[in-house]
Amino acid sequence: MEGFLELAPATALLPLISFIVILAFGRQLPMQGAIPGVVATFISLVLSVVVFIVVGQGYTYNEDIYTWVAGDEVIELSFGILIDPLSSLMLVIVALIAFLVHLFSVGYMNLDEGHAERGGLPRYYASLGLFTFSMLAFVLANNLLMAFIFFELVGLCSYLLIGFWFTDKAPPSAAKKAFLVTRFGDYFFLIGTVAVLATFGTAAFAGSDSFPVIAQDIIAGDISETAIETFGFEASTWFTIVGLLILGGVVGKSAQFPLHTWLPDAMEGPTPVSALIHAATMVAAGVYLVARMFGFYAISPTALAIIAFVGAFTALFAATMGVVKDDIKQVLAYSTISQYGYIMLGLGVGGFVAGTFHLMNHAFFKALLFLGAGSVIVMTHHQQDMWKLGGLKDRAPITYWTFLAGALALAGIIPFSGFWSKDEILYDALAVGLETPILLVAYAMALLAVFFTGFYTFRMVMLTFHGEPRSEYAESPDPVGWQIQLPLVVLGVLAVVAGFVNMVPVEKLTGLEIAYLYQWLDQAWLEQPIPETAAGTYSALVAQELPSADPNVLLPALIALALALGGALLAYRLYSDPEPQRHVDELGSVGHVVEHNYYQDEFQVWLAQGVTARVARVADIFDQGVIDGLVNASSSISLFSSEHLKRIQTGVVTNYATLLLIGFLLILLGFGIYGGWF
Amino acid sequence: MWIEALVLATLLAAGIVFLAPDRVAPRLAFVLSLIPLVGSLWMFLNFDGSGNALREGSTIAFQNRVEWFQLGDLYTLNWHVGLDGISMPLVVLSTILTTLAIVSAWTPIEERQSQFYGLMLFLEAALIGVFVALDFFVWFVFWEAVLIPMYLLIGIWGGPRRKYAAIKFFVYTNIASLVMFIGFVALVFGLGDAVTTFDLTDVAQALTETEPDAVGWMDASTLKAAAFAALFIGFAVKVPVVPFHTWLPDAHVEAPSPVSVLLAGVLLKMGTYALLRFNFTMLADQAMRFAEIIAAVAVISVIYGALLALAQRDLKRIVAYSSVSSMGYVILGLMALTIYGVGGATFQMLSHGLISGLLFMIVGVIYHETHTRMVSDISGLATQMPITVGAFVAGGFAYMGLPLMSGFAAEFFVFLGSFGSPHLPASHIVTPMAMFGIVIVAGYLLWAMQQTLFGEFDLATDYNPREAQLHDLAPIAVLLALIIILGVAPEVAFEMIRDATAPIIPGGDM
Amino acid sequence: MTGIPIEYYVLLSAGVFCIGLFGILTRENALMFLMSVELMLNAANINLVAFALLHGTLTGQVFALFVMALAAAEVAIGIGIILVLNRNFGSVNVTDAATMRW
Repeated sequence: MEGFLELAPATALLPLISFIVILAFGRQLPMQGAIPGVVATFISLVLSVVVFIVVGQGYTYNEDIYTWVAGDEVIELSFGILIDPLSSLMLVIVALIAFLVHLFSVGYMNLDEGHAERGGLPRYYASLGLFTFSMLAFVLANNLLMAFIFFELVGLCSYLLIGFWFTDKAPPSAAKKAFLVTRFGDYFFLIGTVAVLATFGTAAFAGSDSFPVIAQDIIAGDISETAIETFGFEASTWFTIVGLLILGGVVGKSAQFPLHTWLPDAMEGPTPVSALIHAATMVAAGVYLVARMFGFYAISPTALAIIAFVGAFTALFAATMGVVKDDIKQVLAYSTISQYGYIMLGLGVGGFVAGTFHLMNHAFFKALLFLGAGSVIVMTHHQQDMWKLGGLKDRAPITYWTFLAGALALAGIIPFSGFWSKDEILYDALAVGLETPILLVAYAMALLAVFFTGFYTFRMVMLTFHGEPRSEYAESPDPVGWQIQLPLVVLGVLAVVAGFVNMVPVEKLTGLEIAYLYQWLDQAWLEQPIPETAAGTYSALVAQELPSADPNVLLPALIALALALGGALLAYRLYSDPEPQRHVDELGSVGHVVEHNYYQDEFQVWLAQGVTARVARVADIFDQGVIDGLVNASSSISLFSSEHLKRIQTGVVTNYATLLLIGFLLILLGFGIYGGWF
Repeated sequence: MWIEALVLATLLAAGIVFLAPDRVAPRLAFVLSLIPLVGSLWMFLNFDGSGNALREGSTIAFQNRVEWFQLGDLYTLNWHVGLDGISMPLVVLSTILTTLAIVSAWTPIEERQSQFYGLMLFLEAALIGVFVALDFFVWFVFWEAVLIPMYLLIGIWGGPRRKYAAIKFFVYTNIASLVMFIGFVALVFGLGDAVTTFDLTDVAQALTETEPDAVGWMDASTLKAAAFAALFIGFAVKVPVVPFHTWLPDAHVEAPSPVSVLLAGVLLKMGTYALLRFNFTMLADQAMRFAEIIAAVAVISVIYGALLALAQRDLKRIVAYSSVSSMGYVILGLMALTIYGVGGATFQMLSHGLISGLLFMIVGVIYHETHTRMVSDISGLATQMPITVGAFVAGGFAYMGLPLMSGFAAEFFVFLGSFGSPHLPASHIVTPMAMFGIVIVAGYLLWAMQQTLFGEFDLATDYNPREAQLHDLAPIAVLLALIIILGVAPEVAFEMIRDATAPIIPGGDM
Repeated sequence: MTGIPIEYYVLLSAGVFCIGLFGILTRENALMFLMSVELMLNAANINLVAFALLHGTLTGQVFALFVMALAAAEVAIGIGIILVLNRNFGSVNVTDAATMRW
């Protein structure tokens, strides 16, 4: 059984092969490249399930497989595979959603006339293949450098796919923005990666000489601080700095405040791409990275608190913006930002399992919601404005019921998956907050966001599916094929049941041992555990820095549920008319600010165009004027002086004789003075 | 003797092409350029050197050292050539880029072809000579010989302001050569009896063993510092380093694209190569003395060069200024004086040679199809020439340092080497400052790509751009392949480079 | 040495030389130039001969002979130049022949 783990690289390499095949033969392939993509991701899915099962048998894997730079005299840089419960879980999630999205794409891109006739499908499937490869390789990475490398490649694929319809004006601009904003985050990540290598001499995530373990030993005092280079800082301070630098990349990729602005724009890409990249996987890469190296963050309470606050603030901030959007994909985009805020909060308060749990659930239900939205878009001839939809409930039942399941999960209504994970995050936040009161602020923000989440989710459901159709396309939607319906059903089922794997409140109330995800991540049952990545190790580490109380499990859960239901009911009341009214205007100037996303975009555009571009122009003027001016001035001076000096050359022989004489006399004088004749 | 054969074969090829009729010159030049290409690749594969050529205990590959003639009573001049792990990859870079540049010139160069290709091959011979020479005078002759064909190539086949650009290039770099020459000769004279040749290996050895005597009013320490400064300024012009960079954009904009390929791809590397050989190998102690200034110059080059690129509206100027920025990383890596730093800087020379060559070729193809290089004149090119545009996007991302392409490997090595460098002042502050260049470079390249490649097709000039021909695309494809190979498996070249840079690291750590 | 002291010769020579120099600097006629040059050469000859007498050697006198021969050759060439000058510029005024300048 163990040998199967060596197949893990194949899960990543198969989509790469599909990328190369499509790139080389694109147009000649049947279905414009869809088939290699679907087949490759299907095999990847099967392999990843096999890997998952083998891990379930108690095996893990942590080996370098390719040496990038050999380390005879220098730090060795290599690529390797780390398979532990966390990565095997993520592997299955990514492979599953990648496969479903490939399948969905056949219905969305190939079979939809409007999309198919715009062409470029081989490019689409090639990019999807490259993306799947990069994401799977990122998940499998056993060191920070490899993680960074594939993190960046994922960003490239995102750029290619957001800008897929490049003849329009908006997609290329959105693609540029997405890459640039995440690049800004990655700049800090790169510094962090370099700093980790320079500090520890290794970037490995797991193993007895991995950097989180060394850092833990130094904090615990088992290793002297002088064993590593801390650039004149206290070891703990330096670890916090490095952790926060890496967090920069996380904030960029997972669209956390203030680098979240690219994600709503990224909705310019095809909808399956939004589902795959901008909801379920790439955006998850950021928080997955935090979970992957949680052992490093767990020793730094400052870094944890910052993660928690960024997450909680983002959760609330994005949720308020989601409330006023008209485009169904925009609502989902803001909800994505908000939900990743929750995951960050969960990780930030030390809830490694809670964060991972929500990451998993969110991947399922958000992919479901995006694909559902894609299904709506296909059946209504590319109508995304919710005010022009409506009444699809009876006309598209499969889409409706699956979408509803996703919406209930998103809103956090019991017993759908989102409820269990969100509740766990909130519970962890409260537990820590009771001991460290400042974190209660984060808890309060997250709790408030629950209300908004319930509201915008059901506003979206009501406007899209209930009431009367508000456009001719919503009146008579086209039917959609099984390629679209199958992924919806699969994800719909998962959105309902995924939450049952970790029902912590039920466990605490009844004493049944049913927190399976915790057990899975805790590795206690493994034959070859990797203790430094086990959930139990993490919670022990966090407990040293951030103690937690043990509040009642029922009350917080009921509060959160009541808020979510309250939001949902409010939305129902406001928008259940057959001809719903806009209520944004009633918010007055606040609504105006929120509709403009708090002028975040304007601010960043100003930073780019108003500040940077202007500085560049000044630099250019300085360069042309002063620096090149000096160069040209030296030539001008030469020309100018020669222009005048040459006048001595009169052509009159008498003048030459005079000059000769004067020169001779001067030399004589010079010798005279030098020789001391005078 | 293989090196002499390589240089002579290239010179001979240049002569043959020069005399050939225009009709056959393009194809003939390509075929003849394969000789040095294959030769250098053969040498690369059979490379048996180890260590750094200027340090004791090294094995110099393909070495040939003979006494040439006496200079005065004291000095002997040698003919000394050879290769180590630093120069070998650069020779291969020169031969590969020349061949590819020759192919890429088939379309744009329509006049006086035999002279053009003859000069290209002559340039190649001189470039190889610069990298193989291990005696100062041999080296200097080749160094200066490079200027002649480049001057003519810009001055004859260039754009509207070609005369201005060619003269600026020639005079600027020539004055720099003079400064550098004086610096080196003063240093050798200062060493007095310790060296009796201008052989670089002897001079380097003598500098490790003895201190120079006082010359004139300068004591030993001042002499070394002055020599270091003169050499640094002399090479800084060639690199170019801010504030000596202004000849570069003018030369690039006026030069025909194939010439730009060699100018950016190889000529700039002469400067950094010489910096590595002279300033950071022979006079590393002085480099540490000026560490603050050099680090500042490196950071300013990176950031200021990138900002200037951001302000440009001409595609060629954008790439030209971004070269200034990229060369700043090389200076940073050299100043780090760690294996990753110096090795990464050398790797960046290779990588930047390939990537900037690629971008100049693509810009050349676009210019040939559209007759404009202004970003604002073009939009939506992707619908017209999809393959070229695909290559442009790939090249752009390579320039931005996308992982698994050579640019990332090079920059990462440099950052890794400089972040923990014991020789760089405040290395953990300076390095992140320079690293910010990777954000700005993404900014201007993404902006330029969005404007020119995407959106509705529109062109301000009266041309109908179509997909480039196969022989225009072939060199682009080869370069892309090399970039990816070096990015995925940097050890192909980095192993050799590391071996050659390790001996010059002071203290030998990291 | 008896008779006239060397200073007188030197003074005479300097005087003749200065007359020649003055001629060159002030006259515009090429023929006058030629004559002035002859005067300067002869001033040098006076010196050569005088110092030869002073030192009792023949070297100076031999040199004086050389200078005379040289002067003769110079006149031959000089007259030729003046003739060409006259043909090209229509005068023998040296300020007219000022085309060899910037």
